Amino acid sequence: MSKSDAPFFVGYLNIPKGLKGFLLKVSLLLFFGFTAGALLAGATQDDPGQAGFRFDFGRQTVEGVIQAKPYPLLHVTKGNERIEIGETLMLTGQGKSGAMASIAALEGTVIEATGILLNRGELRMLQLLGGNRGFKSLETDGPVPASESLGTWRLQGEICDGKCLAGAMQPGRGLAHKACANLCLIGDIPPVFVSSQPIDGEEYFLVGSVEGGSLSAAAYDYVGNFVEIEAALERQGDLMVLKLDPKRIKVIR
Amino acid sequence: MNTAEIILSIVNIWIMIGGVIAFVFLLFGIDRIDEDARGAYVFRPLLIPGILLIWPMVLWRWLRLEMGTENWARRHKPPRKLHFWVAILFAISIPLIMLLGWSARQTWPESFEPQRISLLQQENVR
Amino acid sequence: MSVKYIPVQWNSNKWKYNAIMLASVFVYLLIFIELTPGIMDNEGRINTQVHNARAFGSCAFFMLSVILCIGPLARLDRRFLPLLYNRRHFGVMTAFVAITHAGYIVDWYFAFSKSNKYEALLFANTSFSQVSGFPFEVFGIFALLCLIILAATSHDFWLKFLSPPVWKSIHYLIYAAYIAVIAHVSLGILQDQQNHVFTLTFVAAGLCVAILHLLAALHERKHGDAAGDTSGDWIAVCNISEMNEGFANIVTLSGGERVAVFLHQGKLSAISNACAHQNGPLGEGKIIQCLVTCPWHGFQYDVTNGRSPAPFTEMVPTYRVKLVGDQVMIDPDANPPGTFVEPVPMPITEGA
Repeated sequence: MSKSDAPFFVGYLNIPKGLKGFLLKVSLLLFFGFTAGALLAGATQDDPGQAGFRFDFGRQTVEGVIQAKPYPLLHVTKGNERIEIGETLMLTGQGKSGAMASIAALEGTVIEATGILLNRGELRMLQLLGGNRGFKSLETDGPVPASESLGTWRLQGEICDGKCLAGAMQPGRGLAHKACANLCLIGDIPPVFVSSQPIDGEEYFLVGSVEGGSLSAAAYDYVGNFVEIEAALERQGDLMVLKLDPKRIKVIR
Repeated sequence: MNTAEIILSIVNIWIMIGGVIAFVFLLFGIDRIDEDARGAYVFRPLLIPGILLIWPMVLWRWLRLEMGTENWARRHKPPRKLHFWVAILFAISIPLIMLLGWSARQTWPESFEPQRISLLQQENVR
Repeated sequence: MSVKYIPVQWNSNKWKYNAIMLASVFVYLLIFIELTPGIMDNEGRINTQVHNARAFGSCAFFMLSVILCIGPLARLDRRFLPLLYNRRHFGVMTAFVAITHAGYIVDWYFAFSKSNKYEALLFANTSFSQVSGFPFEVFGIFALLCLIILAATSHDFWLKFLSPPVWKSIHYLIYAAYIAVIAHVSLGILQDQQNHVFTLTFVAAGLCVAILHLLAALHERKHGDAAGDTSGDWIAVCNISEMNEGFANIVTLSGGERVAVFLHQGKLSAISNACAHQNGPLGEGKIIQCLVTCPWHGFQYDVTNGRSPAPFTEMVPTYRVKLVGDQVMIDPDANPPGTFVEPVPMPITEGA
């Protein structure tokens, strides 16, 4: 086509005849391309798995003994139909705040805790109601179950924030979620290690520091990555707890 | 103050300065340097976000136009020389970054069995 | 007298352009947000906020990819030039879609903590020294900032105020923004994704943009405007037999400026190739009703003096032309914009 025959588009004039068909085709391509794109991208998202807040169970009230470290735990002494006596529940506050600040002083005492359960399979956590409504001190001391050492283990898996993992967010793990997980850990939400395979039927382990306190911030760089760790494993109540030194984490290839 | 707070404070200050400049420029400056803007007011709010973001450039151009030191020849010399290399660099970067991302991907260690490496806890128990 | 600025100079083609663009975006978001949750057969339900963030994020990515294809496509095939005409509205819309994506993310992943959510966005992940687990959010923040700057400086006022070359240089940021988006996705969601359908569409769109840019750059190198012979004071443009009535031949001067020599009503005139509006290539336009018309946005100039017809006030520099034998020559020293130059008549050739 010579230069002079080619249709020449001027924005404020009518579209030249020779271009109309072409532009119609381009418009349809754009429209149906976006239609197909939405279907392809939207309908093939990964399954985050069954997890979440159990609002269907309603508000739960149980009694138990508080263990403050490495993260607030409740060893249930008086349960209900959803929560059995002897279960060790991880506790959390609202949003991205752990229950640590409010509950640390009650270590070793019996409280009545009220909140909403979250769970992913066997991983269970109780989100206490906000303010002072979440727990009430019953002003008696109770026994914290003795911890049982299970030796030192080499594990592969992922360090997550326990709350999002338990379904507070769906999806609630992985690298796209890493910043959120870190923010949760900064807010004292209990970290949970997901193991490639279970030990004694347990694949979720609460993670604390070697000294028995909360996980060191040096470990945050590894959150969301698939890592190999070496850590001491203990059973506290019916919960497995890892004592992890950040120096003994390495990213697996 | 942590780094994040410092960055956000700088952003706030940047935008506040931009706000002052937008106010002065749109009320008094613009009519002096662009005759097409005289008597035209409805479009001016559209310029506010741009001024908030690139106010140092606004000041620089405003000064040049006020002083009449604008070189007319420059207005007709688009930066086309660079375009070839920008396009090449751009085209190469896209697949390279995708490859970098792909190569960094990890695979879930599905088959790894936990190993007990010692019966003892290596560090002191609390 | 001049033409006063208004928010948007609407015309029917801009309405049509926006209708098609908005319909595509709307159908994308509608299908992704409303339809796909019902199609997916997952055990768990993805949070609405995350689902919507993905809808808007992927939509912005595809929009940006389309926008970036328009330029090279128009250089490879002029029939795509109408897509360039209102590209700025497409860009502004993309910025809004991207802002919505960012909004969902910040109000979900970075909310609910004791910290300010924007601070949290900056400090939550600081693993800058690793590729896997890199705080890919920073790429998103950078790209979003670029898109907002481009959208905020898209009004014609900015073109005139900053001057087209400065404006164009700022708008080169789109390349950096796209690279950042590629990194944002590659180091973000792609690290986790197990179903690779989105990965494939992402790679396809990115490669499409990359390949078109390569092709257009090579095409430009091969078929681009000839450099003039700079041995003398005057520059040879072409042979008179190469001139077509109503069209121009372009020559590049040693300093990089381009000059368009037009043949209009049997006479030769030369003006700058760079339109006063956005530095569009006037020499690739044509003369319509005695006026040189820019192929990008239809700005018009009188070929003898480089002035837009009243009430418009745009002007481009002019150049002196002469014929030496059958060689068209121009004086490389530009006249100030709007300077009248007497057109040079073409010799009457036998049989013409």
